[in-house]
Amino acid sequence: MTTRRSFLSGAALIGAGMVTKAGAASLPEAPVQSSAATAPPLVPPNGRPYNPVVTLNGWTLPWRMKDGVKEFHLVAEPVVRELAPGMTANLWGYNGQSPGPTIEVVEGDRVRIFVTNKLPEHTSVHWHGQLLPNGMDGITGLTQPGIQPGKTFVYEFVARHAGTFMYHPHADEMAQMAMGMMGFWITHPKDPKQHAVERDFVFLLSAYDIEPGSYTPKINTMLDFNLWTFNSRAFPGIDPMVVRKNDRVRIRAGNLTMTNHPIHLHGHTFEVTGTDGGWVRPSARWPEVTTDVAVGQMRAIEFVADAPGDWAFHCHKSHHTMNAMGHNVPTMIGVDHTGVAEKINKLVPGYMVMGDKGGSMGDMQMPLPENTLPMMSGDGPFGGLEMGGMFTTVKVREGLARDDYKDPGWYRHPKGTVAYEWTGEVPPAPRAPGVPPSKPTETMNVKRDAKHHH
Amino acid sequence: MNCLHKLAGGASMALLLGGCASLSGDGGFGAAAGVSEQRTGLSASVAGRLPRNDDDARALAAVIDKKLGQPLAVDEAVHIALLNNRGLQASYWSLGIAEADLVQAGRLQNPVFDFKRSHGGGEVSIERTLTFNLLSLIMAPLAGRIEGRRYEQTKLLVSNEALKVAADTRRAWVEAVAANQSAEYAVQVEESAQASAELADRMRKAGNWSAMDVAREQAYHAQTVADVSAARKAAVAAREKLTRLMGLSGAQTAYKLPDHLPELPAAPQELGDIEQIAVNERLDIQAAKLDTAHTASTLGLTKTTRFINVLDLGVVSNSEGRTNARGYELSLEIPLFEWGSTRVARAEATYMQSVNLLAQAAINARSEARESYADYRASYELARHYRDHVVPLRKKLADETLLRYNGMLMSVFELLADAREQSAAVNGYIGALKDYWTAQANLEAALGGRLGDRQSTNKGVTP
Ligand SMILES: [Cu+2]
Repeated sequence: MTTRRSFLSGAALIGAGMVTKAGAASLPEAPVQSSAATAPPLVPPNGRPYNPVVTLNGWTLPWRMKDGVKEFHLVAEPVVRELAPGMTANLWGYNGQSPGPTIEVVEGDRVRIFVTNKLPEHTSVHWHGQLLPNGMDGITGLTQPGIQPGKTFVYEFVARHAGTFMYHPHADEMAQMAMGMMGFWITHPKDPKQHAVERDFVFLLSAYDIEPGSYTPKINTMLDFNLWTFNSRAFPGIDPMVVRKNDRVRIRAGNLTMTNHPIHLHGHTFEVTGTDGGWVRPSARWPEVTTDVAVGQMRAIEFVADAPGDWAFHCHKSHHTMNAMGHNVPTMIGVDHTGVAEKINKLVPGYMVMGDKGGSMGDMQMPLPENTLPMMSGDGPFGGLEMGGMFTTVKVREGLARDDYKDPGWYRHPKGTVAYEWTGEVPPAPRAPGVPPSKPTETMNVKRDAKHHH
Repeated sequence: MNCLHKLAGGASMALLLGGCASLSGDGGFGAAAGVSEQRTGLSASVAGRLPRNDDDARALAAVIDKKLGQPLAVDEAVHIALLNNRGLQASYWSLGIAEADLVQAGRLQNPVFDFKRSHGGGEVSIERTLTFNLLSLIMAPLAGRIEGRRYEQTKLLVSNEALKVAADTRRAWVEAVAANQSAEYAVQVEESAQASAELADRMRKAGNWSAMDVAREQAYHAQTVADVSAARKAAVAAREKLTRLMGLSGAQTAYKLPDHLPELPAAPQELGDIEQIAVNERLDIQAAKLDTAHTASTLGLTKTTRFINVLDLGVVSNSEGRTNARGYELSLEIPLFEWGSTRVARAEATYMQSVNLLAQAAINARSEARESYADYRASYELARHYRDHVVPLRKKLADETLLRYNGMLMSVFELLADAREQSAAVNGYIGALKDYWTAQANLEAALGGRLGDRQSTNKGVTP
């Protein structure tokens, strides 16, 4: 395996050489990010002022002002992305990461983007949702030739309307998007006070099919993915969204997977305030706790974080909050293993009975194939979280600084505000008709498991 | 040799005899056993002679019982066969017959006292004659020479018989041990299938599986039960074959075999001129050679006109094969005679028949040597491939499958199916190992002795 470090330094060297060749005077620098951690918001050093966003487990691309034009340099290249601690993936991305860096501009900005192709095949960039000259739309064959390996193309247009957008290839897109080619684009309003929020998080929904023990996504998979991610990170690798109590919070998500994702926030109601088409008029908004982000769509939701705590935030398709799992494993619930388990253990040393009481593996720690993630993991203050994939938390705390995004740790619940066990007399529970009588141990296990369950 | 003739009348009579011969007292067994002991590395008798009486039988049984007290190693099995195979004993006794003939031929024929008593019509008549064969007195030297060669030939053939029994026993032992191992493997597969079927039944009871899913698992299990029966049948047949070769019966048939075949040696034997070894060492060739000489002598052929190389005959008839290309020298020459018009055609035919039999024996020996050596080397490579690649990779697959089961990526049924695949790989290795040890026994038989006795530095030796 190429280590991440050597790979990145190699890429950086290639980039530098390329810049010299093309003439450093005309081509802006292409910064490279080596970390999958959430970078702090990039306060604009020049140009029109705006309220920067926080890219969840990502970063914002610095630019250069040249004759009043914002110049960016994207390098399309193979990258090694950490999907979560313990698992890396061979992806294609931009400037060292997948997804690529977020591009932030202001309504009315003239933008010039240099795109250098370090991939083994041609590519292009489509600026999803932008209103631009047809020849800048980035569709190979239709509006431009493909950017061949080693070549650099320039896209130039005016960011005409404020909103939430993304960028991705429109060249061999089935392969290139399955390999992680995507990035976020924010056009801020001219007036920073318009639609102003205290915290503005952005991420893309993407899915990969990476066989446990391997590193490269199976790009021909259409629906049966095994890794569901926010910005190419799977829980427990996704950072929490930390907000100050009573902050107005915006979360913007774009969907580049091949299915829809009903995104659900606990503890608050929110409104969908934006789509890829622009801002939703206040009179057209309605309250939600779940909003479906369909394929190819962008959604901006807003809420006032008035409830302190650690609030779950996740896709509501339950398989999407799991990591790699076998979709053809038969259901073992209720299957009596007495006697058979010993026989199997004799034939397969190391075998343990699993699934006979449900899918939960409790606190079992068993060795897995290399480079994969447990189907469900993550620890909370009350035990195993049993989550993976598209799951994280919104951590609402009092008294944080305006620019403080640091994980504050687990929420400390005021006394009397946590569910508790009833210890008094319990009458025998009525049993549903037709269900075979269970053994006493099963009853006990159901009780114990109930603590962990959603 | 000390010539003592109990019945020879005097010194002058003794001088008339060309060959001096006497009964060895063990029916020539010692001489034949010596050859087979040298080739097999195992003694052919308990007391240096063939068992003749109850004491001998008891001594033999004691020796065999001691060997049967523990799991029977292959050399022990071969030794028991050499000591106890009744067919081989019969061959040894045929040697006794040949020896008796030889001694008889070298002796003056006993004076015959004939006593004849007959009843007829109430009368009893008694006739007595005493005859003394004078002709035998003249013919004795020639007869002695002829019988001497016949005896030598018999000795070689009997020794060869012993080698054959040794090789058969070696092969039968390998077969029997491997068959046991395979039967055990079949049981393992059956147990795995049984666990699958049982679990399938529980799945059905819990409402998680259809009748079809259960039937599929149970049908597979039923098949594996049949496979166990077939494997056990084969194991019994292989064991009985070995039992017969060792000449065992009664309580002795309860012997134990080791659980496993011996492991593959670090490297196969590197042999140089295997064809030369076969021609040099094989007793059947030596016997055929002796037969040719014996025929010539019997026919009184003394005038040689030229020599022909019987191995050349072999080469000519095999000129398309690889033999020519190998280019080492082999010679086994025998004389051809000038057949005068006065000679009878029958004599020529008899001699040429024996020449051709010898030539064919040499061709067969060389071909068998080539074939068995090639098979031996290929069997080694195959067994090594199983040991070094197939089995470890199957193990790796089993480990990886378990990891995937742990991650709930695969089901317990896949885990069990993989356990069966792993058993199949191990069984493949058992088969390959069996083939290797069988090939080794075949090679030894084709070369006329144990491989361990020989180094690869046997080039340049011609018979
Ligand atoms: Cu989803």
